[in-house]
Amino acid sequence: MKRLQLQRWSSSVLSAQARTGGRLQHRLYNGIRHQSTASPAAPTANDQLIEEEPLAPSIHPPNSRQSKYQLPSPPVEAARESAKLAALHARLYLPSRLPLETLARSLVDASADPNPKFNNESLATLGHDLLTHYTSEYLICTYPRLPLTVIFAAMYAYVGPKTLAAMAREWGVESAAAPGGEVDPGYLQFKRIPPGADLKPVTGTARPHEDQAHWRKSITSSVVYDNEFGDPVKGPKNPSEQSKQDAQNIKGVTAEQANATFVRAVMGAIYLHAGRPAAKRFFEQHFLSRHLNISDLFNFSQPARDLSRLCARENFEQPVARIISETGRKSRHPVFVVGIYSGQDKLGEGAGASLLEARSRAAVAALKGWYLYSPLNVRVPSSMEEEGAAPWKPVHVDLGEVIV
Amino acid sequence: MPVQGIRTVTAARNGVGAFILQCKRLDFHYCDWAGSSRGMVAYLKHHLPAFAKANPQIEIRVSPRPHKHPVIKGHYINGREKAVCVRNLEPEQIVQKTNLLKQASGEKLKRTKKPVTSLNESVRGIWSPYHGGLKSV
Amino acid sequence: MANCLTAPRRPLLALPFLLPSPYECVALGLRRNQSSYRRTKQRLRVKPDASFGSSLSHPQEDHIIYNPPSSAPSVYHTPAKFLPSDDIRRNLRAASVNGNNAESLPPAVRATTEKKYHLNPSDIREIRRLRATDPMTWSRLKLAKRFDCSPTFIALVCEASPQKKEIQKRVLEAVQSRWGSKRRMAREDRQLRKEAWGRDQ
Repeated sequence: MKRLQLQRWSSSVLSAQARTGGRLQHRLYNGIRHQSTASPAAPTANDQLIEEEPLAPSIHPPNSRQSKYQLPSPPVEAARESAKLAALHARLYLPSRLPLETLARSLVDASADPNPKFNNESLATLGHDLLTHYTSEYLICTYPRLPLTVIFAAMYAYVGPKTLAAMAREWGVESAAAPGGEVDPGYLQFKRIPPGADLKPVTGTARPHEDQAHWRKSITSSVVYDNEFGDPVKGPKNPSEQSKQDAQNIKGVTAEQANATFVRAVMGAIYLHAGRPAAKRFFEQHFLSRHLNISDLFNFSQPARDLSRLCARENFEQPVARIISETGRKSRHPVFVVGIYSGQDKLGEGAGASLLEARSRAAVAALKGWYLYSPLNVRVPSSMEEEGAAPWKPVHVDLGEVIV
Repeated sequence: MPVQGIRTVTAARNGVGAFILQCKRLDFHYCDWAGSSRGMVAYLKHHLPAFAKANPQIEIRVSPRPHKHPVIKGHYINGREKAVCVRNLEPEQIVQKTNLLKQASGEKLKRTKKPVTSLNESVRGIWSPYHGGLKSV
Repeated sequence: MANCLTAPRRPLLALPFLLPSPYECVALGLRRNQSSYRRTKQRLRVKPDASFGSSLSHPQEDHIIYNPPSSAPSVYHTPAKFLPSDDIRRNLRAASVNGNNAESLPPAVRATTEKKYHLNPSDIREIRRLRATDPMTWSRLKLAKRFDCSPTFIALVCEASPQKKEIQKRVLEAVQSRWGSKRRMAREDRQLRKEAWGRDQ
């Protein structure tokens, strides 16, 4: 699991004087995971970035009817006058400590306003890390035996971009047709990608030999090189490529990306203004309360072989398929109920129209029974941050998935 | 590759955890001249401020619509809208209509046959003829 | 069952299309409630079963009725063997009544064969030589029969030569070219159904 340095990040996001602002966040956001707690960005590189950063658009001109049209995003003062924004704030039951101005800022995507002091990029970075941190610790503590591919799929289901975009829709967030200073700040503002533009796969990852498309990518390597959902992610880049990145931002983003960034930014804003307990509560109420049947995320290719390997690894007796019941074997539609037994114990059972199908389904059920083990009274590490928490007892750590 | 993950999306359960009011906007249209808007004007003067204060999650727009009957329009999160004509109604009746629009989900009205629907699977599972107390013949 | 028994006992007056008067309709409503009440009571009268627990010996004691569902077990219910040794549920399940013994186990789908491990390196060298020299004669099945092992073991030990693979591929193509659309579709559907087993669909 990733180590979080929340205090340091929050200070840089909160203070208006933080010069490294968006750049540091950008590097963290796009960088690979680092095992050490040391700052991933070298100080010299940061200094260069500061020098190169243009200082001109750092202050928005004062609010007037003419100048509004020149701004890339609505002025800060407009947040207090927007009924839409206040309604959204109340609809989500956001804490009163979270000001409307921050909520307005979280609605401005980086493609609408490239200035990191007025867009939601830094908030979204913080929110994304919080979301993935809370989700991963919940998944790993609740289902300690889940295979990594299923953890990736479950992470995607809980906090993936598709889910976050659906959540923004369910919160009643509407998007502006085009970003601009005159737009009501209650609308989500982003520059749309032109229709018909092809979405290229991510290139420039940190993975060595990424141009060899047919090479096998192991799951273990995706822990190192890919993001939380097992997708390829852009590696750390040098400042010369930074301008290319900005050019790409100007090109536009999809509505799904912009909505997902907004939801992440709201999470980050709650953390910064209302603190850790409020952020945790918001996560539990809005993200964890959604329905997901984890047993539907498995796709086995050779379940019988996997189960046999599992029993050999755990020193159980070899699994034997036994016919529990069957209807007329010679009829047109027979039904077989087959159970998989290891010694005297039944591991799983399945029904099918042929013995092979029933056996295969029973093996799937047995493997799911193994992988979906959940300990009693699960606690997550972040529950220790509460006041007066009981002493920590180590959670169940499993040997790992079956390797064939 | 022993097991692959299947990508899905979690399903929303409004009210489990957080509750989002489905009515996001109410439009009040009235006419200053016509008699059918008399109750609506009184409602806008005396009842609407309290309603707006009690329901901050609803965006409220008030706009005149001359020479037309007064109408309240509710806009919902699912994209639908619901309009109620309140001509010649008393302010108290308009309070009821406003509450109706506020509490609506925006879905088309439909008959509910089952009192409870749930995404969770049943505790005792789906009945199967091959399980339970089997009688051998 | 209960419905079948009560139906003949229902009076003829309960048929609504024979009764136009509203007075009788009220009586009908009352009658309907009564019958549904009776039906509910009848359903609640469950015969005591051995699986309910040891209530027959101590009928006056309070106890929990255990009536297992007649449905396939849920995958979230971890089998006792898969529980870690420090899990409290392991002891709880061991303490509960478990009448399983070797005789009551259902029959196996196919007889399990004991592995023999009788081939030595020289045999394996011989298998490889035969497969390499005359692949048309010495197929996997024939080699398995000769060396008294499974065809899977032959596949583990050696591989067919590229020429043999090419010939086999062409044979398969020739066979498949004679398939009509129905047979081809049926084969493809079968493959798709097989993949669906692993997704538990």
